Amino acid sequence: MKKRAVIISTVVIFGFFIVLLRMVDIMLVNHDRFMAKAQFQQVRKKAVPVKRGIIYDRKGRELAINLDTESIFCDPSEIVSPERAAAVLSRTMNAEPRAYLAKLAGEGRFNWLERKQSPDLGSRINNLKLRGIGTITEPKRSYPKGRLASQILGFVDIDNNGIEGIERQYNKYLEAQPEHVKVHRDARGNMLSDGMMKELKGSNIILTIDEGLQYILEKNLHEAMQHWKAASATAIIMSPATGEILAMSSMPDYDPNDPSGSKPEHRRSRSLTDIYEPGSTFKIIAGVAALEEKVFSPSAKFDCSSGSIELGDKKIKDAHKHGVLSFKEVIQKSSNVGTIKIALKLGKDKMYDYIKMFGFGEKTGIDMAGEVSGILRPLSRWSGLSIGSISIGQEVGVTPLQVLRAYAAIANGGYLITPHVISEIRTPEGGLLHKTVPQAERIISESTAETFKNILKTVTEEGGTALEAAVDGNSVAGKTGTAQIIDPRTKRYSREKYVSSFVGFVPADKPRLAMIVVIHEPKGKIYGGAVAGPVFRKTSNEALSYLSVPRDDMQEKGLLLISTTDKR
Amino acid sequence: MTSKHDKWIVVLLILFIVVGLTAVYSSTSVISPDVVEKYKKKGVEISQFFYLKRQLFTLFLGMFTLLAAYKLPTHMLKKLSIPLLIFSMVCLLLVFSPLGVSAGGARRWLRLWPSVFQPSELVKLCMVIFLAWYLSLSSYNKEKFSSFIIPIGVMGVFQIVFLKQPDFGAVMSLGMLTLFMLFLSGTRLRYVFSLGIVAVPVIIKLIMEPYRWKRVVTFLDPWKDAQGSGFQLVQSFIALGSGGATGVGLGESRQKLAFLPEVHTDFIFSLIGEELGFAGASLVVFLFLLLFLRGMRVANRAADNFSYYLAFGISIMIAVQAIINFSVVTGMVPTKGLPLPFVSYGGSSLIINMTAIGLLLSVSRGQKRQTPVAALSPVNEDMDSGSIVSRSDIAKNKVMQMTMSDVKSKKMSSKQRHSWQYGQPASRPRIIWKAGLVQLPKRNSPGDKR
Repeated sequence: MKKRAVIISTVVIFGFFIVLLRMVDIMLVNHDRFMAKAQFQQVRKKAVPVKRGIIYDRKGRELAINLDTESIFCDPSEIVSPERAAAVLSRTMNAEPRAYLAKLAGEGRFNWLERKQSPDLGSRINNLKLRGIGTITEPKRSYPKGRLASQILGFVDIDNNGIEGIERQYNKYLEAQPEHVKVHRDARGNMLSDGMMKELKGSNIILTIDEGLQYILEKNLHEAMQHWKAASATAIIMSPATGEILAMSSMPDYDPNDPSGSKPEHRRSRSLTDIYEPGSTFKIIAGVAALEEKVFSPSAKFDCSSGSIELGDKKIKDAHKHGVLSFKEVIQKSSNVGTIKIALKLGKDKMYDYIKMFGFGEKTGIDMAGEVSGILRPLSRWSGLSIGSISIGQEVGVTPLQVLRAYAAIANGGYLITPHVISEIRTPEGGLLHKTVPQAERIISESTAETFKNILKTVTEEGGTALEAAVDGNSVAGKTGTAQIIDPRTKRYSREKYVSSFVGFVPADKPRLAMIVVIHEPKGKIYGGAVAGPVFRKTSNEALSYLSVPRDDMQEKGLLLISTTDKR
Repeated sequence: MTSKHDKWIVVLLILFIVVGLTAVYSSTSVISPDVVEKYKKKGVEISQFFYLKRQLFTLFLGMFTLLAAYKLPTHMLKKLSIPLLIFSMVCLLLVFSPLGVSAGGARRWLRLWPSVFQPSELVKLCMVIFLAWYLSLSSYNKEKFSSFIIPIGVMGVFQIVFLKQPDFGAVMSLGMLTLFMLFLSGTRLRYVFSLGIVAVPVIIKLIMEPYRWKRVVTFLDPWKDAQGSGFQLVQSFIALGSGGATGVGLGESRQKLAFLPEVHTDFIFSLIGEELGFAGASLVVFLFLLLFLRGMRVANRAADNFSYYLAFGISIMIAVQAIINFSVVTGMVPTKGLPLPFVSYGGSSLIINMTAIGLLLSVSRGQKRQTPVAALSPVNEDMDSGSIVSRSDIAKNKVMQMTMSDVKSKKMSSKQRHSWQYGQPASRPRIIWKAGLVQLPKRNSPGDKR
């Protein structure tokens, strides 16, 4: 080989050698550095769409679901002309270009433009094929039944965080831990893998609420609100045996699909967050205590003919003069004088014990947030007047739920139950995470409860205070309550503002439903029997037929019960 | 023992084709939906096999040109050297006619149904053939400046056209190719240096052109404008660098997903580096090195000066192109539009390089396997470069057939024309002829050479 051929060969071989050296530098020495740069541009972290758990009623009907919506975002670093993009976008979305300009021209790599828009709009935006603008599918919380049970369910914010109600209280179950998947993309921003197909689901919650009963209750409550031009109205239906809340609502309510603008007091479950003076419905405490402690027999007589009783320097009157009343009639006719006489005989220690025993002055332990314990002054701070006032339901602050629970104890034979709205919490796959076990604690004997139930049955009968609460074909055990509201300005009982309530259970002998109806500031009539009684009656009528509860008078009226139960 | 042709080169070619088709398929099989859409509007249905099919078709054509080049008798090729050079020049100039196709601010292609053709590839091969012919002329005097300036002048004309296109990559590879071949022929070094001194101001002027200057700046620091002019180089670095030692796996390249422009053509080596890592990429480099070494071996055993220069020029041409491509991809040379021979997608390059391999195989034909290089060194000053029949031809008894049929008419007239043209006495060939005819068995033994 000639010298020059050798030189050229050497040069060329050297050239290949240099290339190899350079490759070692890039591919081996600087591998990590370039790998990081590759990852930076090729891989995008994508949040996996998190679907909140579904909230069902006790029969599996959906109360809170998720809808797929499209959220529109932009990557300002990829947008060449923000002005043009803003103009095109605003035309598509019927908005001012100015609204988007700042976001399109901003710093960083991610800005939301619009969130949770319809899939239709999302596809129209995608069809524009604007560089740097894209859509992400985001689940949006939706409440298909609208306002139904809105205070129990609560609502969520734009990022699906629970703000009120069950949504807030059980947020950690309903939401799923957000995850990110690494998605490979090409230089044009197209995603390659189907990482987005994955979705995370939160756990489902099954409530004790019955959608049908909730509807019946809300409908009647709403009607009553309008009829009595009331300031507000609250009602609960509970299963007296188990403490399951079957329906619960307060009026006015709000739309959880659009909670903005609604007042905070309309959003909360006022049945457990707001207190009132129970008035006459509280008289059962003194009555039950007297029977249980055998202070009086049901046939004991009380002279109430004066129509008033003096306690210290204050005189407490009856609404009507009654004359001599039996123990039973004191409750039936809701005599203040008679009740105070019972309480005085019982003594304030026993009175206080029974009030505590029935769960007043402390939380019921319902599995919802925001419950208050009410106001029950400790015995040391009772004045001479207190035993009289408290026995007829003044000087105490209670929640409707506490009152209902006390009546449920009479309905279920003497057990204080713990109310609850959560039946089960299940994983998306169906695994049981939580099941509420009904809790009950005996507070009075069965015979006392039975005796007192019979007394309460007379309330809706001839001579009682709540004939309007009588239910067709089924006996009702209940009690009316009419309490004056303390005017915040004068600190005295108002003459115009009352709280009218009725609490009871049907059918009285085999109680299926315990219900309380509290109407604040009704106009026209004030007495609980007249104002709240009809709501109780109508709701019970509809609820009992909804539940196909047999009528007590079925046999005497010759009605035939047709069983619709499947024979499986 | 003799062989038909160099089997190693065939094996290497097959390996290159396998690597090339695999890389082309990998780089073009994943097509972004919007690109599909774009082509659809033009009436082209693009599929994952779109580019592969076209490359296979080109390969098919390349097989023909390879065989044609292989079969083409050396004397024919010699005669064709000037016409081919002129033809390539015409093709090159046609780029500026309406037939020309421009892309990316450069007119480098000719419209040729159903595709485009890049004449600069043809020019390189024709230049090699021309130089082989010119340098093997007996009138070529390595000492004389005129013998130096003629090929340089021819090159210069091409270079001017290349600069007009502009095609800086072609300028670089043609320049290196020409200088290497002249250097090999033994030309005076001072000529080369003086040319260099003359060239310096020209090169400086060319570089000072804004777009080229920008390119040089970009090359020096691609990260400065990683989203703009440095984008392609940065993406190439990322591809190679993320490949690491063993690569991300065949077909797994991410950089091919529209990150790296021209990934299937000029930057296909980046894709190989990314998918197969240093292991795979360095193997490709070694394959080119092997091809070069094998080509050198063929050159050194060539029967005559023309074949020697031809084999050498082809080996240099492929090696220089490969090295420039590697250097571009690894950021050692400013970005050029130069494909990697055999591997890059692109018809012109593949066909031309396969033709070149055909010529190389033709040279290798009949070479003895274990002949000492020195003994057969054809670079013998007084060897008759006008010889039509090589020693290997004689050795293979081909002479017999040729003499019987062709020689009297065709070969003789060729010789006559030869001596008429270049004023060389035609006695030597004739002697060899006779010797070949008469003393065939004798000349078949090694060491028999003068």
